[in-house]
Amino acid sequence: MKFKLEKRDFKPFLQSLIDGYDLYAPVHLAEGVPVYRKMGRPDEVDLSLLNPQKSLKEVFFPQDEVMFRYEKVDQETQMVSTEEVKRERVVLGARPCDIEAISIIEEVFSGREYTDIYFLNKRKATTIIGMACHQPLPTCFCSSTGGGPFVRKGSDLFLIDLGEAYLVEILTEKGEAFKKNKFFKKTSAKNLQLAKELEEKASKKTDSTIPVKGIDQKLDQWVESPFWDRVHEKCISCRVCTYLCPTCHCFDIMDEALNEKGQRVRNWDSCLSEFYTLETSGHNPRATCRERTRQRLMHKFNYFPKIFDRIACVGCGRCILYCPVNFDIREVIKEINAK
Amino acid sequence: MMEKSWEPKILAFLCNWCSYAGADLAGTSRIQYPSNIRVIRVPCSGRINPLFILKALQSGVDGVLVSGCHPGDCHYLSGNYIGRRKSATLKCFLEFLGIEGGRVQFSWVSAAEGVKFSRVVQEVTEEVKKLGPLKKFKKSSWFGVQSSEKENE
Amino acid sequence: MIQQKLREIAKELLMKKEVDLIIGFGEGTLPLRATPIFVRDPEEAERIIWNSFCENNLATYLHKFDRFKVGLIVKGCDARSVVALNLEKRFKNNPPFLIGVPCQRMVDRRKVKKAVKGEILKALEEDDRIIVEGEGFRVILKRDDFLYTSCQVCTHRTPVQANVLVDQPVEELPLVESHPDMDQFESKSLEERWKFFENEASRCIRCYACREACPMCYCRECFVDSSRPKWIEKGLSPSDLTFYHMVRAYHQSGRCSGCGSCERACPMEIRLNYLTQKLNRDAKELFGFEVGINPDGPPPLSTFETEDKQDFIK
Repeated sequence: MKFKLEKRDFKPFLQSLIDGYDLYAPVHLAEGVPVYRKMGRPDEVDLSLLNPQKSLKEVFFPQDEVMFRYEKVDQETQMVSTEEVKRERVVLGARPCDIEAISIIEEVFSGREYTDIYFLNKRKATTIIGMACHQPLPTCFCSSTGGGPFVRKGSDLFLIDLGEAYLVEILTEKGEAFKKNKFFKKTSAKNLQLAKELEEKASKKTDSTIPVKGIDQKLDQWVESPFWDRVHEKCISCRVCTYLCPTCHCFDIMDEALNEKGQRVRNWDSCLSEFYTLETSGHNPRATCRERTRQRLMHKFNYFPKIFDRIACVGCGRCILYCPVNFDIREVIKEINAK
Repeated sequence: MMEKSWEPKILAFLCNWCSYAGADLAGTSRIQYPSNIRVIRVPCSGRINPLFILKALQSGVDGVLVSGCHPGDCHYLSGNYIGRRKSATLKCFLEFLGIEGGRVQFSWVSAAEGVKFSRVVQEVTEEVKKLGPLKKFKKSSWFGVQSSEKENE
Repeated sequence: MIQQKLREIAKELLMKKEVDLIIGFGEGTLPLRATPIFVRDPEEAERIIWNSFCENNLATYLHKFDRFKVGLIVKGCDARSVVALNLEKRFKNNPPFLIGVPCQRMVDRRKVKKAVKGEILKALEEDDRIIVEGEGFRVILKRDDFLYTSCQVCTHRTPVQANVLVDQPVEELPLVESHPDMDQFESKSLEERWKFFENEASRCIRCYACREACPMCYCRECFVDSSRPKWIEKGLSPSDLTFYHMVRAYHQSGRCSGCGSCERACPMEIRLNYLTQKLNRDAKELFGFEVGINPDGPPPLSTFETEDKQDFIK
């Protein structure tokens, strides 16, 4: 099912979503820094950056999430869990790479033995409106990792910017709930033709030459390789890559409490922190940057594929763009492939 | 119900050898001073880590007073001199950021100055009362089932 | 040419085995970027480059490589960081060999990106021009219009301390007490200042890139990691975010060389320089101390004068 959404109807369309759902979209925080937040007004939307620094995982797996609250009132302890999602949600403006990354996180959080209800409840209650990438960045290599700028996998609705309007594709049952939206108009053959042309053009722009195929098998023998002695040198363990990475999902659970009341909170953590693997005995198996860099790359390209049959990288390029020292994961992959 | 007018909460870090003794003297001499202050005894005013002051403000006190021995009289010889530099830096910085200078105050009170201590507490309490309750920087809501939801949600 | 001289010096040092490795800059994989490189073989010295994109403070690597004898390529600000570290006796047993480059000031890549419409695919530096190319555009920019703010007000572009200088010392700006970001901030009212600061800090994602990029942040256990006492939670409450930035800046007082690495590393583009510059100015006004100039003077907060300012004390 395909429809047309005129650009002049876009803000009213957003308002119609805000009226019926909790709408999450990139919201303007500062110039060049949009962040996925719950929108209050259509004016807040900021689609200026191809991909916000903080990826889509923020919507399903917030950086700072309260799991439950407790308080001792009289002699009784009251507890309120926050796992319940009270209102249906819609995410707008998600790119194919980020959407693919959510399915990667879902592999872990809807695991074989344990499920993460906080993540899953949010996921089940969310309709994803994906958005095609017309101008992939030079750092985008989604087509090397099995994705692409117009890949619709995981989207319930898919928007393609045609200039004066968006082409809206309804792809799933969840998406069909929106087919009666009053702003969705009929498309023309011209619209569909333009969309096809844009797709062809964009698909040539992403880098499909990064040799990720077969890298998981190659790395099987590499745990003790001297390769890792040089790779880590410029890394300063700043953790930007892990926080911005749409597939990274480590977290730390802490209790914040004061006297008789408190809450249990889950915050993002990073395997690049020096204290990430510090044990109570004082021993730290990943004491230096060498072990931590090795861990990050092995996890993405060897350990994760061994368990879930897919690499934990979607080629979004954020780690390359925002690394303060220009550590380039593409160069590392090429080096591994060359050996 | 009669509304009680708001009283500021002030945390006072007093050095053990001079200011705390001075406060004690004020007590034994039966000199009245406002009961808004809560005292924490430290060995020396140089012990004060700026983190103490910031944590206090974050936790909900409306003002902080740090009091030590007069220059030259420090029990540890130079602790109060070091403390003086730290205090000057912190006070300038907090005012620069937008936290009113009147909320973080410093004094020299010797063990014999019971009267001065009560005067200092009186002044500080009045100044903080004028500034009103600290709303910025305070960690609001702070969990519990009865309290409000966290801002970011 | 500075680049050639750097390669020659690096090669010589490595051949004579006076250093175990040279830390300098190499070609980046993105336009407008250079990247730190670690050269151990004399032949590899050819990878060393020098341009206006060499924005990182390499002194931060001294902590990672403190078991090696390091030859470090430093700009003015980097050299001051090393001096500040020496004051704290950080590398007493293993002082680095400093290869000083009088700095031509670095280009702010974010400013350049915002000045053009479209994605930059290639960037070239030619004398005083930056030429950026993208799909369907080629723009020539005047280099001096796109410098980092911290570079614009820098008064110590020539390394104050270096074992060897690769070029003539440059003419320094007259000592200027202000910094545009700091001045603009100070001109606001008290309430506006707090609002601005809180707003900037609200973007923070607690990644600590600012901390890791800073050569002066090398505590084994940072105050944020401390759990007994727990000063600060690890979440994103506005109070904690301002607390973190306040304290990190405060811990730089009398130590920060104004290199701007913190601001450059931040993925959320938070302004940080105005905080540390304020503390530096205070150190100068209150204690007469300037970071990285005097290699002997004790750090300002670990010493005192009997006549220190105390008009704020009751």
